[in-house]
Amino acid sequence: MMFPILSSLVALPIAGAILLLFVRDDEHNEPLVRNIALVVSLLVFAQTLLLWSRFNAGSAEFQFVERHAWIPAFGISYLVGVDGISLLLLVLTGFLTPLALLSSWESVHKKTKAFCIFVLLLESAMMGVFVSLDLFLFYIFWDAMLIPMYFLIGIWGYDRRVYAAVKFMLYTMAGSVLMLLAILALAYLHNAATGAYSFDLLRLYDLRIPPPMQFWCFLAFALAFAIKVPLFPFHTWLPDAHVEAPTAGSVILAGVLLKMGTYGLVRFAFPLFPLAASYFAPYLALLAVIGIMYGALVAMVQPDMKKLVAYSSVSHLGFVVLGIAAMNTQGVQGAVYQMLNHGVSTGGLFLIVGMLSDRRHTRLISEYGGLKRVVPHLVAVFLIVTLSSIGLPGLNGFVGELLILLGAFRWSPRAAAFAASGVILSATYMLWMFQRVNYGPVNNDKNKTMRDLSAREWAILVPIVAMIALMGVLPNMFLRPIGPSVERMLNQVRQGAGVQIQAIKNSEFGSRNSD
Amino acid sequence: MPPGISTSDFYYILPELVLTGGALLVLIADVLLPRGSKALAWVTLLAIGATIASLVPFGSTHVEVAHGLLAVDQFALFFKIVFLGAAALTVLMSVRYLEIEGASPGEYYFLILCATLGMMIMAGGIDLLTIFIGLETMAVSFYILAGFIKPNQRSNEAAVKYFLLGAFSLGILLYGMSIMYGLSGTTNLRTMATAFVGQERDPRLVLAVILVVAGLGFKIAAVPFHMWAPDVYEGAPTPVTAFLSVGSKAASFAMLLRIFLEGLPSMSADWRLMFEVLAIVTMTIGNLAALTQTNIKRMLAYSSIAHAGYILIGVVAGTPRGVAAMLIYLLIYAFMQLGAFTIIIIMRRQDVVGDELKDFSGLHIRHPFAAFAMLLFMLSLGGIPPTAGFMGKFWLFGAAIDAGYVRLAVIGVLNSAISLYYYIRLVVFMYLKPQGAGSPVTTSPSLGIALAVAVIGTIFLGVYPRLLFDLAEMSARTLGVAAVTAAIR
Amino acid sequence: MGQAIAFYTLAAFILGFAVLVVTTKDTVHSVLFLVLDFLFVAALYVLLDAPFLAVIQVLVYAGGIVVLYLFVVMLVNLKRPPEAHHDPHRRTKLGLFLAVAVLLELGAIAVYQTTRPVLSVPGAPMPVTGNTEQVGWLLYTSYLIPFEIASMLLLVAMIGAIVLAKREL
Repeated sequence: MMFPILSSLVALPIAGAILLLFVRDDEHNEPLVRNIALVVSLLVFAQTLLLWSRFNAGSAEFQFVERHAWIPAFGISYLVGVDGISLLLLVLTGFLTPLALLSSWESVHKKTKAFCIFVLLLESAMMGVFVSLDLFLFYIFWDAMLIPMYFLIGIWGYDRRVYAAVKFMLYTMAGSVLMLLAILALAYLHNAATGAYSFDLLRLYDLRIPPPMQFWCFLAFALAFAIKVPLFPFHTWLPDAHVEAPTAGSVILAGVLLKMGTYGLVRFAFPLFPLAASYFAPYLALLAVIGIMYGALVAMVQPDMKKLVAYSSVSHLGFVVLGIAAMNTQGVQGAVYQMLNHGVSTGGLFLIVGMLSDRRHTRLISEYGGLKRVVPHLVAVFLIVTLSSIGLPGLNGFVGELLILLGAFRWSPRAAAFAASGVILSATYMLWMFQRVNYGPVNNDKNKTMRDLSAREWAILVPIVAMIALMGVLPNMFLRPIGPSVERMLNQVRQGAGVQIQAIKNSEFGSRNSD
Repeated sequence: MPPGISTSDFYYILPELVLTGGALLVLIADVLLPRGSKALAWVTLLAIGATIASLVPFGSTHVEVAHGLLAVDQFALFFKIVFLGAAALTVLMSVRYLEIEGASPGEYYFLILCATLGMMIMAGGIDLLTIFIGLETMAVSFYILAGFIKPNQRSNEAAVKYFLLGAFSLGILLYGMSIMYGLSGTTNLRTMATAFVGQERDPRLVLAVILVVAGLGFKIAAVPFHMWAPDVYEGAPTPVTAFLSVGSKAASFAMLLRIFLEGLPSMSADWRLMFEVLAIVTMTIGNLAALTQTNIKRMLAYSSIAHAGYILIGVVAGTPRGVAAMLIYLLIYAFMQLGAFTIIIIMRRQDVVGDELKDFSGLHIRHPFAAFAMLLFMLSLGGIPPTAGFMGKFWLFGAAIDAGYVRLAVIGVLNSAISLYYYIRLVVFMYLKPQGAGSPVTTSPSLGIALAVAVIGTIFLGVYPRLLFDLAEMSARTLGVAAVTAAIR
Repeated sequence: MGQAIAFYTLAAFILGFAVLVVTTKDTVHSVLFLVLDFLFVAALYVLLDAPFLAVIQVLVYAGGIVVLYLFVVMLVNLKRPPEAHHDPHRRTKLGLFLAVAVLLELGAIAVYQTTRPVLSVPGAPMPVTGNTEQVGWLLYTSYLIPFEIASMLLLVAMIGAIVLAKREL
């Protein structure tokens, strides 16, 4: 039997968390706790890399599939597998978690053990979301993810952390309960069609769902994902959660959690309900474009760096949704690529903001200025990450945005035109922020004594910078596994929508003939 | 043996006989044992254990006892296990509580066992007479238990309120039952079902259905018959509240299923409509009222009302799957609700009553495991995976969709999203607020056992619910539900 | 027809007295109306050919329970309207009169019994004394199990009364 690598991706962080439970929680055990958590997360990362190396990039099928019966009476099984889309998101998760843990080295000192346990549990749930091919299993991981994140924000966050944590929890929960119903409805439709309940995604892909049902189910799924993305106007939880979360929480939230919304659209909402998807795609695109502009404009006036980065996420994720809504090769490939980019560069931005805030205990832009002179290394990295975020050619952001805009242009030039203005806006607010923080004279005395990057911080930022460069220079390395899976998914949507539209037309003609 | 009853009948009611014997034994042991001895609790647990053991031979029995007064089937068996398990947990959580409150344990344990006996009769009864006597036995025991802490005014108030409204609701129920008897000439539910076929338009029968629904509505605390619940839950001794909210509720649901699915299947159009309205109102009002509570017992009272609303969804569905979902939910609910009450009892110390929200501040520093357990129960009550509560809700809403009641399922999930707010608020207090006042929080061995059982149940059933699902499906099928579905379609 | 008239008359009285029970201000009067109510219910049982139940109704409810009620009401001495005490001797006279009447009646019955004993006709069946036997038979055969449970119920009630009433257990 093959080694169950996907299950071990989910199980290893949990095992690490359980191991941590047995470590006594006191002052001088703190390094031990941190090291265990770091080693576990690095092992998980190594495993994701192993997975990537074993992955057959030429195939569009799900690989490393494991299937075990769980609740047979209801057709629920433990079914996991990866394709090109989820593979790289797994790698991204594995990549960001150790960095998030490292970033907490100096900022988290209370209840370190619990902190590490929650990060590991969160990692496990995130892996679970990306590998699940059974809708029931997916929903369980989807919701289970909330609890560790809730605590990460609520315990280790900043001043208004409780409010932010509760808001985060309730918003996401409100979105996902309706998705649960839609999942149930799918299982029942499968029962009605074939006589057996099933939550198996691959079987449900083949299910012919009657149009009105498709619309409702799509809306239920899309709402859950739109809140998670977050798509305008469901984004209001995001600035609160981001601003109040500790750096590690922000990194994971921005880097991975937000991707689940867009991943859900690509994996579930669009292929399961092709007809509804093609009907609603323009509306999604509209919201996405509004989100791009709105996020950028609001980001521009933020006095708080973290809030600025948070709103920039709204804007950037708008691009991803636009690419998905375009439903063509470039658009979706770009969207998936942009998910990875955003994870790396926004993760990097949050890390840097976290480092500044560790030193000065403030995130207000006006408190800084002229850092270039004081901490040149930090500012250099800051610059690279900023440029990556605004999509400078040669760095990663460019590839994704370009692909998305190409795809969007082929689909709707007008949407692409508006979205492109978002690129300009993002350059404006990012560079303006960068300028205010790093250039000019050092007006604030407190800034004069700031120290530059420590070895630990180098260890955090070097991988980020390396990744930014790698993804910018060798995009094919990443696009190759994505390609076939995206094609398969697009075919599915087109065929599904086409067949059904044809069927509706036929029935209309049929009824007309019979009249 | 005289005609009408046979020796085998006594064999089939063996569990009830064992429990009765156990109850009497407790009374005697109370006199014989020295004062303040904790052995009494163990005698009670022994009686419950013996009763559970005596259930073993009836694993696949399906008979009617004494010409249709009682049924011994898997449906009854499932409920009996729930009752006995809940009773055992209640006894475990009572030991220290009674000590602190200075109440005499002998009569207390006796009454707990008698209430359990009443519940078992209710679940097994397929004759209005037996069901009613069982109900009365349970109710009278609870009236006294609610007022057991005599020096406490709130306990007295709870007992009086529960007694008055309970007696009132029993009167309504009895009125409905007597009309049912008058129209059919029999008290046996199964005979009654055939007598009522074709009588759907009879206004007297409709009146009977309305009265029975109202009477049972009181028992399960469905809105608008719920007014007693918050006061009684808050005032009654905490273990009694726990047992009341789990055992009494489960027994009333068992009785409700027996009466409506076995006795009134032909009237299903009427009672489905009524229960649908009740379910919607109960869920919504229960949850909205719980939002503003600051007393945990009161909050759990409203939450328990809301949960009755969720469970009613299964009745509305009326299919074997719906009934199975109810059984599953009631069992899971027993674990999480009893667990939550165990924590409240742990919080009860000599100097602190411990049922206010602020008493839970910073619990995770003072007692990390208690805080973790409470977190688990709250998440489970809110229906978040991977806890058992999620599985229960999943099954219930699934049954609703299966039976074509999508709107009920939608209202149900929206409600569970609302409910999350107040469950999470308690978590906020436990984990995110600074430490509260009072002496250190400690557990006793018996509380520890109760808590461990509840925690393990809540986690295990959330991760591996398969056995429970199969068991509940099997039990639900022994009820006359198959006939009902046939009658509906 | 006659039965229907009897039923509706009785029912009207039962309802009427029930209303009086809850509307009367004087608690003692209220309890006395309750006695009347129970008596009429007993009459209803007679009408239904259930003399045993009728007797039980009179003995247990009208006789036993309500007397207890009266005791309680008088012991706790709820406030009574003062005008009820106008003539302190009126009641004594009335009571004396009633007692003498009952005594006379008992005497008359005793004299009647001794002078004219009941004739037992040989060969004729024993007079039917009601359905007591049937009730007993049913209770101890078909309904034995509910009957036994009811005994537990009574035990619970008894223990409950002790628990609630006793000052310190």
